[in-house]
Amino acid sequence: MTVTTTDASAIRALLADVDEARGVRQEILDEGAKREVRRAVLSAVCVPGYQVPFGSREMPVARGWGSGGLQVTLGVIGPADTVKVIDQGDDAGVNATNLRRMIGGTTDCAETTDTRDATVIQSRHRIPEEALGERHIMVYQVPVPEPLRGVEKSVVECGRMHAEADYSKMWVSLYEDIVRNGLITASSGYPVEVDGRYVMATSPVPRWDVPRLHQAEHLNLYGAGREKRIYAIPPHTDVHPLTFADVPFEVEYAPDSYCKLCGSDDVFLVEGGPNGGYVCSDTEWCTRVREGDADIVAHRKRAPLGQLPDPRRRLVGTEVEEEVHGTVERTADTPEWALRVSEVGKVHGSGGAAAVPGTGPESGSAVSPSTGAIVAAWDVDFDVAPGEALGLIGESGSGKSTVLSCVVGDVPATSGTVRLGAVDAGRTDVLALPDEQRRKLRIDSMAVVYQDPAAGLNLDITAGGNIAERLTAAGWRGYHRIRRRAAELLDRVEVPLSRMDDPVRTFSGGMRQRVQIAKALATEPAVLLLDEPTTGLDASVAAGVIDLLRGLLAERDIAAVVVSHDFAVIEALTDRTLVMQLGRVVERGLTDQLFHDPHHPYTQRLVAAARR
Amino acid sequence: MGYSGARGGLAAILAAEDLVRRKRDHAPAPWASTEQITERFRLAVDRVMGEAGLYHEPTAAAALRQAEGDPLEAAHLVRAQRSTLPRLANSEPVDPDELIVLRRIVPAFREPDGPQLLGRTTDYTGRMLERPDGQPAPPDASPEPEPVERTDEQRQPRRFLDLLRKLDLVVDHRGENGDAEPHDITRVPARPPAARSAVLATMARAETGALVGLWYRSILGPDGDVHEVTLGEVRHGRLPLRIRHPHTGNPVTVGEFRVTEAEAIEDLDGAEEDRTKFDVGYGLCLGHNERKVIAMANLDIANRRFGRQGPLEQLLLLTTDGLDSGGFLEHLKLPHYVTFRSMVERKQAMRAAADAGMGPRVADPAGRDCR
Repeated sequence: MTVTTTDASAIRALLADVDEARGVRQEILDEGAKREVRRAVLSAVCVPGYQVPFGSREMPVARGWGSGGLQVTLGVIGPADTVKVIDQGDDAGVNATNLRRMIGGTTDCAETTDTRDATVIQSRHRIPEEALGERHIMVYQVPVPEPLRGVEKSVVECGRMHAEADYSKMWVSLYEDIVRNGLITASSGYPVEVDGRYVMATSPVPRWDVPRLHQAEHLNLYGAGREKRIYAIPPHTDVHPLTFADVPFEVEYAPDSYCKLCGSDDVFLVEGGPNGGYVCSDTEWCTRVREGDADIVAHRKRAPLGQLPDPRRRLVGTEVEEEVHGTVERTADTPEWALRVSEVGKVHGSGGAAAVPGTGPESGSAVSPSTGAIVAAWDVDFDVAPGEALGLIGESGSGKSTVLSCVVGDVPATSGTVRLGAVDAGRTDVLALPDEQRRKLRIDSMAVVYQDPAAGLNLDITAGGNIAERLTAAGWRGYHRIRRRAAELLDRVEVPLSRMDDPVRTFSGGMRQRVQIAKALATEPAVLLLDEPTTGLDASVAAGVIDLLRGLLAERDIAAVVVSHDFAVIEALTDRTLVMQLGRVVERGLTDQLFHDPHHPYTQRLVAAARR
Repeated sequence: MGYSGARGGLAAILAAEDLVRRKRDHAPAPWASTEQITERFRLAVDRVMGEAGLYHEPTAAAALRQAEGDPLEAAHLVRAQRSTLPRLANSEPVDPDELIVLRRIVPAFREPDGPQLLGRTTDYTGRMLERPDGQPAPPDASPEPEPVERTDEQRQPRRFLDLLRKLDLVVDHRGENGDAEPHDITRVPARPPAARSAVLATMARAETGALVGLWYRSILGPDGDVHEVTLGEVRHGRLPLRIRHPHTGNPVTVGEFRVTEAEAIEDLDGAEEDRTKFDVGYGLCLGHNERKVIAMANLDIANRRFGRQGPLEQLLLLTTDGLDSGGFLEHLKLPHYVTFRSMVERKQAMRAAADAGMGPRVADPAGRDCR
């Protein structure tokens, strides 16, 4: 193969012929649109890594063919600029050539293939090997700007995850990758964390180029025309590839490889044809190395040779210390309860509080006679102290699970307040907090175990991965530390460690429930809510899970609420109990006393059922 | 030469363009003039105008000719042309009740207000291929039928929905969207959750086949968001285009354009719905394209009912634009050898790790239980 640098003057001559034949030089983007692009670019520079929506126009190239990069280039380029266009690192590829003639043909900028002379470099899939400085603007063509697409298909949910910096799904996918494959298999377009905030897709350039983004001298602009997004990495910005603190990020490598044209072994190489071997992807650099016009010493310092793959470093990394969250410093003004629920009510349907009169045990119905709404729970009060377990018992439809759902935040309450001792010393009503903050409480302040393990677990990932989800959400970044913590928890709930790396879907019901309990305890939350934790299980399996829960509650300073229809479960696990019927609390007291001397006829029925 | 590489790229591109131009523009056949195309390929021209979101028959016809009849490529040419032009004015809102009908049918009622007007359609023409060789037969010697005198009521019939409203059979959503200023999808990208106007505008510009495919997915696919729809109106007709005069500020009619409109009446059956009533979905697009607006009206009502419970809103907003989907599909033809090399390297790294005894873990077979 022969490689020649594209001769800019020859292209100009050809273009001149074409233009002459057409008789006109066409604009391809009107000035108003360019202004819009520049405004989006400015926003993107101000919020590094954030995808700024813009009114992406249709270009003379198709979506996916650089329509976003082209708009950004046309928006930022001027007559004083010199443009270089590459595709796969190559100045002369058809796509690069096509885009170059469009840029050159519709602006007054100069063209070059020499990175040192360029001011704007539009690229697909590469960063030039040559050093980039403050005079350079890199413009990347972006086919898929959403780095979360691989782990989340809903664009609404992706938007929420970015807004709340909730990237635990990404971390779990990395964790699962290492568990399954022994290494992180993400190839090009490797996700990075920009400026300590947004996770961003890198265009896709190969991993080889990713370290060049960190604290770069140049400005990086990313244009995604089809998805109508522009984002940026300004100069001198921290850019870190997503990886665990003790699992090294790895660039591409092939043993004993070098460019068969120029001999370089410190560049990004691509396959060199049917006869084997490799060649430089960056044709400009390759040519200049051969011509002796390249600073190969400085280049070698830039090259990510310290990040070549090394299997020995992958799985025996240095340990990172992590803190187990949830241990609350008790101060003088910390209340003695961990959870206080006051006057909580839930009405399904219209009317709100006005629907309540005429419902409840006295009326024998939960349906409002005035509005037809269903009063699922009303006027429910209780508090739970650290180290205490409270039972909520009632038949199905009595409102006990509704109360729990309101406390957790799965269902909005119609009335009442919920306070956590660990949140603002119990002064804040968590029901009034925005959704984002309520979700955060569930990372390390309050955990739930659902009746159905599928509600609390992702069955398609491993037992360890499910626990890693909670730990990474709480900020853990050490792979080995996460593994150790997950193993401790699984061991404690008596899941064999040989099953830690199997998808939960392959587990039996009882084993899934144990994993769910381990996940709930991962960050040692102050409050644990258990919604019919053994209802779906065989009697013998259920007995084992109850034994386990009893042990776990006894050894922890945790406040637990246990919801069940079964007095045997409540009796085994709790100290105090509320009895609910048709949405109201009809009796309350110490569990032992209620069990042995129930007063309310309804409670007597429940106790009798448990003794049968 | 050419593709992979790099080299001689421009000459190859120019040669390819030259080949297209020669074969297309200098084929040994009579030239297809713009008038030929607008008069003889009306529905193709209308489809391009609708999918491009620009009403100008000669521009769409020129695009179709340049695109060798590929409607999606033609819509791309029209939209790219639009990108070169400044936006000089915004038109005034138009009330579709002003539509002067060229065709109007009301399947839901035998005798609606105003006419059942078949107009120019091949709906009831046997699909038998005619193969005229050369010129078609000369027109009938008898003179063209005299246009029937029509009253204003016949030209602008009241819509079937008005009757349903009078009978109190329709859920009234008017004014509840908070969507008075329509979402301009050409300036602000529409993503879920989006206003109804954004979804309607996206569908109006969507690729016809994509929209019909999405509708049929509801009929026979896994979703079933369309329940039991009856068409209230299918109309094709002319609407006036008005802008405000730059000096006087008064609305001035500067032209007219043809649109197709449909209303789809859906039977409500949900637990939270008023099951004593119907709900109505709306479709409208530039040009004559009944398939598209009927799908649109069905999907509008499906989106109101189920758009956010399932994937429908995201499907409508993000997957129905022909330029987006077609362009992205075709971009797979571009060189990808850098990204592919990066993938190959990870495969090789996994094997190297396996050779070092740290290879991929083979999970226990799914279904193996433990107690």
